[in-house]
Amino acid sequence: MRNLIRYIFITLLVFSFLNSNSQEWVVADDIASIQNPSPYTLQNVNKGKELYLKNCKSCHGDAGKNNALPLVPIPPDVTSAQMHANSEGALFHKITAGRGTMPQFETSISEDDRWRIVNYIMNFNPANEPLLVDAPKINAKLLGSVNEAEKKVEVLAEFQDKDGIYKKLANTPVFINSKKTFGKIKIGQATTDENGRAVYQIPETVVGDAEGKIDIIISMEDNYTVNELLLENAKVCAPNVAENLFDEAVLWGTNDRLQPWLLVSYLAIAVGAWLAIFYVVFQIVKIKRLGKE
Amino acid sequence: MKGNKNSRRDFMKKVGVTLGAVGVSASSSVLSSCNQVEQASGDKIKLLTSSGELVEVDKAQLKPADMPSLSENQKRGRKGLTGKSWVMVIDLSKCRNARECMKACQNHHQLRPEQHHINVLQMQDAEHTAPYYMPKPCMHCDNPPCTKVCPVNATFKREDGIVLIDNERCIGCRFCIAACPYSARVFNWFEPRDAEKYKGVTYNIEANVPQKKGTISKCLFSADRLRDGKLPSCVSACPNSVYWFGDRNEDAVTNGTTNETVCFSELIKDNAGYTLMEELGTKPRVYYLPAKDRAFPFEGEISGHKA
Repeated sequence: MRNLIRYIFITLLVFSFLNSNSQEWVVADDIASIQNPSPYTLQNVNKGKELYLKNCKSCHGDAGKNNALPLVPIPPDVTSAQMHANSEGALFHKITAGRGTMPQFETSISEDDRWRIVNYIMNFNPANEPLLVDAPKINAKLLGSVNEAEKKVEVLAEFQDKDGIYKKLANTPVFINSKKTFGKIKIGQATTDENGRAVYQIPETVVGDAEGKIDIIISMEDNYTVNELLLENAKVCAPNVAENLFDEAVLWGTNDRLQPWLLVSYLAIAVGAWLAIFYVVFQIVKIKRLGKE
Repeated sequence: MKGNKNSRRDFMKKVGVTLGAVGVSASSSVLSSCNQVEQASGDKIKLLTSSGELVEVDKAQLKPADMPSLSENQKRGRKGLTGKSWVMVIDLSKCRNARECMKACQNHHQLRPEQHHINVLQMQDAEHTAPYYMPKPCMHCDNPPCTKVCPVNATFKREDGIVLIDNERCIGCRFCIAACPYSARVFNWFEPRDAEKYKGVTYNIEANVPQKKGTISKCLFSADRLRDGKLPSCVSACPNSVYWFGDRNEDAVTNGTTNETVCFSELIKDNAGYTLMEELGTKPRVYYLPAKDRAFPFEGEISGHKA
């Protein structure tokens, strides 16, 4: 009996060891040694951050805050040593293939974007010089006007230098957006010239309201603090006639929207039916009278 | 109706008197504290914000909510928001059955746990096809079969495309349930949830609250929230960016999770969007994007399905 318990105990012990071994997620060397084709630049790291916030944050939590979901095993923080024990190739493989509670992203995130997420994770690697994702933002100012005749938006961008003086902001993209009910939609972008000026031609595909007006919002990249410029009621599109559900004759309109032909045909049928009934009754009465005579 | 109007007048009178009294007392307190720069009554009220934070607000900053009377509410509820044409796009490839939409909806519309304005279904189209999750709200058809059969004009379609129900008119005949091919409507067989709590609250036609026993209820695209410029409850509650919602006239839809706004027609075109049972000619306003490239495996149970 005692032997049996001992055997069971030993087997359990062995199994638990096996289990703990299987929890180690080892990536084959040839895969782990793949170099990241995506260059380690601010742009890629920023894009990676955006993707991380969208796809990974719900489980892995905010960087450095250790607020991951309490899953088994706990998803490691992007700043943790456990995360950075992986090579870039290994991280890419794990994001791609997934295992257990970690889903695969092979089908939902493109290969380039998966490498950019690796770029973002590597930003927290102690061996790397952290790129200034959270660099102090530059104060900027936007001025703009709409040329309704030529359907152009003219923008003047300035930034505040160290001395607090506003200077022309050259070679910087500005984004032209259209304001919608629940947010803004990007129409396009223009790059400023050496005088800080940019001109954007509004394409004909932009949808406006019934008078062809849109509210234009001009915005800049994330590393600028800027009050987004709102140019209201810019008449730059062709008039867009809103669909009117009650224009054509419809059956589902009740009472106040009743279609006349429906009313007429209904009344005709109803009156006709009663007339037929009365006709039959009168005929019967007539036959009875004739019979009496 | 008459009694109702009188009681409302009385209520307004009371509100006016109270506000007037508050105004007098507030102005006197302002006068008595002329040397103070900031005027505050000192009374703080604890409030829970929509994001779940507890904040303390000065009593003087509170304004009574702007609630229209029942008849006014019914009138504007029947008209809808002029110039809008609401559409919803449901991305089936993103849905992983979190059911946050259902919870948010049931809380908003005071529904019992077994009642659904929106329900996440487990679907499998054919024997050898892949199963998927499908949230199914009311389709808000442009050719609605339900409004045609209503004998009392209780359910109707508004200018902005939303199909609504007036529970004050509804007689509970359930013809519309029989007519709807999408099973979008529910009937209040029992006392609604929290019936005691909301006793005497003015009925809001744009949210179907408080629910009424013996009448129909269904998805309303959260018409009351749209009036306030907010996205519908289910759209805002989704954690997996399944829902897009917007105005078809503007040709733009906004994602409730990421707040990203994209072109509606392009979204539908690029992802091969479709509507449910379009062969019936109902012209639904809810579009689906096919369940392809899913990041999450199907974990539900469908009889006969081998995973």
